[in-house]
Amino acid sequence: MIVPLTAYLVVGAILFAIGVYTVIAQRAAVMILMGIEVLLNAIGLNIIAFWRFTAPTDYSAQIFAILVITIGAVEMAIGLALVMLLYRQRQTVEVDAYAELKR
Amino acid sequence: MTAGLEIIAFAICAFIAITGALGMTTTMSMFRSGIFLMASFVGVAGLFILLAADLIGVLQIMMYIGGMLVMILFMVLVMHDPGGAMMAGMDMSFVERWFSKGLVPREPAQSGHAKHMHGDHQRGYNDHHHGNAVQPDEPNDRKAAAMRSGHGAHPMEHTDDDEQEGQVMHHSGDKHDDMDMGGMDMSMDTPVRPIAVWLAAAVSVVLVSMLLLRPAWRIIDAAPDPDSARSIGHLLMEKYMVAFEGAGFLILIGIFGAVLLARPSTHPDDPSRSAKVAIDERPEPIADDGLTPLAGARGSTEHHMHRHHRPEEHGA
Amino acid sequence: MIATAALVLVALVLGAALTLLVERLSTPHHVEPGPAQAADVRHSLVIANSDRWLLPAGPVVALTGVALALVVLPFGPGLIGRDLGIGVFYVIVVIDFVVLGLALAGWGANTAHAVEACYRIIAQLVAYVVPLGLAYVGVIMMARSLSTVAIVEAQSGLWFVVLQPIGFVLYLVTGLMQSYRAPFLEPFAASIGGGVLDVSAGWSALLWRIALAGVLFLVAAIGALLYLGGATGPLLPGWAWMIIKTYALMALMLWLGRLVRPFSTAQMLALSWKLLIPLGLLNVLLVGGLILLGVGP
Repeated sequence: MIVPLTAYLVVGAILFAIGVYTVIAQRAAVMILMGIEVLLNAIGLNIIAFWRFTAPTDYSAQIFAILVITIGAVEMAIGLALVMLLYRQRQTVEVDAYAELKR
Repeated sequence: MTAGLEIIAFAICAFIAITGALGMTTTMSMFRSGIFLMASFVGVAGLFILLAADLIGVLQIMMYIGGMLVMILFMVLVMHDPGGAMMAGMDMSFVERWFSKGLVPREPAQSGHAKHMHGDHQRGYNDHHHGNAVQPDEPNDRKAAAMRSGHGAHPMEHTDDDEQEGQVMHHSGDKHDDMDMGGMDMSMDTPVRPIAVWLAAAVSVVLVSMLLLRPAWRIIDAAPDPDSARSIGHLLMEKYMVAFEGAGFLILIGIFGAVLLARPSTHPDDPSRSAKVAIDERPEPIADDGLTPLAGARGSTEHHMHRHHRPEEHGA
Repeated sequence: MIATAALVLVALVLGAALTLLVERLSTPHHVEPGPAQAADVRHSLVIANSDRWLLPAGPVVALTGVALALVVLPFGPGLIGRDLGIGVFYVIVVIDFVVLGLALAGWGANTAHAVEACYRIIAQLVAYVVPLGLAYVGVIMMARSLSTVAIVEAQSGLWFVVLQPIGFVLYLVTGLMQSYRAPFLEPFAASIGGGVLDVSAGWSALLWRIALAGVLFLVAAIGALLYLGGATGPLLPGWAWMIIKTYALMALMLWLGRLVRPFSTAQMLALSWKLLIPLGLLNVLLVGGLILLGVGP
């Protein structure tokens, strides 16, 4: 492997930073969910990079990556359902309008 | 794989991954945002395949292409400006303009900005340029003009779809027809954005410096088993059976929860109540279908198709 | 590697051309043509307000998906682009690029009909993807491998269509959904002007015809591979049998599809989630039972 482990981890770190920016700076709830997906993606990249370089014969790390992807998908589904519900009540998806629980 | 090819492949995939994520955040069009995120996931899947985790890479592509396409549908459903047309004419930073190139603004006469900027490729998170250039009045006027013909980047088509499909979500679509957006301003320059930029920059600087300045990792040079699917299958069924079943159960609960949450409410005053009525009936066919009408429905068409009717599917 | 890529592309173009010919010839006038519509290849078309990148990218992405999927298809004992370990899983994933391309072109064209087609296409993706996976799973369970070559070898005794008839029927239906042919041609209905085919002309229309015919060809070829034993047979060489089986299956699918009225998108979704998924799960149960009883390879 010519490309060192650190290179993959740096890519993961930059993706993580972009995900953090998206989650904090975006106003639409759906965009925030997409930012969370980017965060999970960066984490998955870290897991697989570490697997390949430090324990390539033990496939448990790939199981964890599958679980991370799966749970990310479930969380996105529930998140979208919540966004739909909130959209019905507040007629907007901007999270500023969700700031108060009372309607 | 030869060394040079590997470095090139890594560079391309890493570039796609990072540019995709960046494009997702900064572009004005929601559809493009979804597409950029898809591209980012494909880039990361490429990195997975480079790391010899081909099953995970292909799994990632499958899940996220389907997932992001559906997410795009949601965004088109709930957001006011899915195509970015209204935002395309507004003030944006250089990064945003770069990723929004080609978007046609809805009111070209009113927008004083060029439609296709030859954006400088400055990647700095430096969007203090457009400080207070966004006046609250101007966007409202443009919004009002755009609102007259409906909302979103595809006004005619969107309202047609609304009417035809008896859009239950857009029961609140009435609100868009009056010019008042409820005091919501469309500016992208929120007070939290500089904080977010600095925070993201700080996170990346801290992480990257920690990675670069760290002593070397303990690297094992073994080659992974080429038949990864078989090994993963065995592990899932033998060692991680509980986790596997637990994940399955979690998905099931998640599906139940999502369906329950998105169900129309039973409270009589809730605006989603009309959704319950529409869903309980047979789905309303699209008007002007050109297809053979169902039994007892509209007049004739020019399609005389003689068919087996499969009554259990049509319920006609 | 360049040679294999060139051969795959040649196979794609030939297969798609033959498919297009077969489809055009076998479509009577009273049946809605769907993706096999006539193409205006000589003139070009400029759509006002269309997205400059998304609209042209549509057919290219779709064609990429079809070409990539053809790489793992064995047309004979040695005639395969590359025998990936994750063969059929890779094929499912890569055909999704066709849907992506259709959605890009539909949205990018920025006309009423095209955007409507984009929504219908994504809805059809949601409808077919889970039953399609279930149709594959029965075969994968019996062959104990994801590789296409291993699946062909596992059928050397008995074709899977005999052992898994429910899976075969499921594959027929979901294959029709995947290739947007009757009765699932809602995204290309004449009422929305043919969807994305209406906003394409010139080279773009040609690419779309190749891509859509290629998808049908691919779906039939994979069906022949999964359920009809692939490129094996008594007298003729392997590739001849593969072509015969592919086109026989294609003819069967098209004929069966035309017996039914076209479905609307809502009916498609209902069919998929209420009928096909339970059928698929039943199929997996039965195949599991058969494997435990020792039947099959």
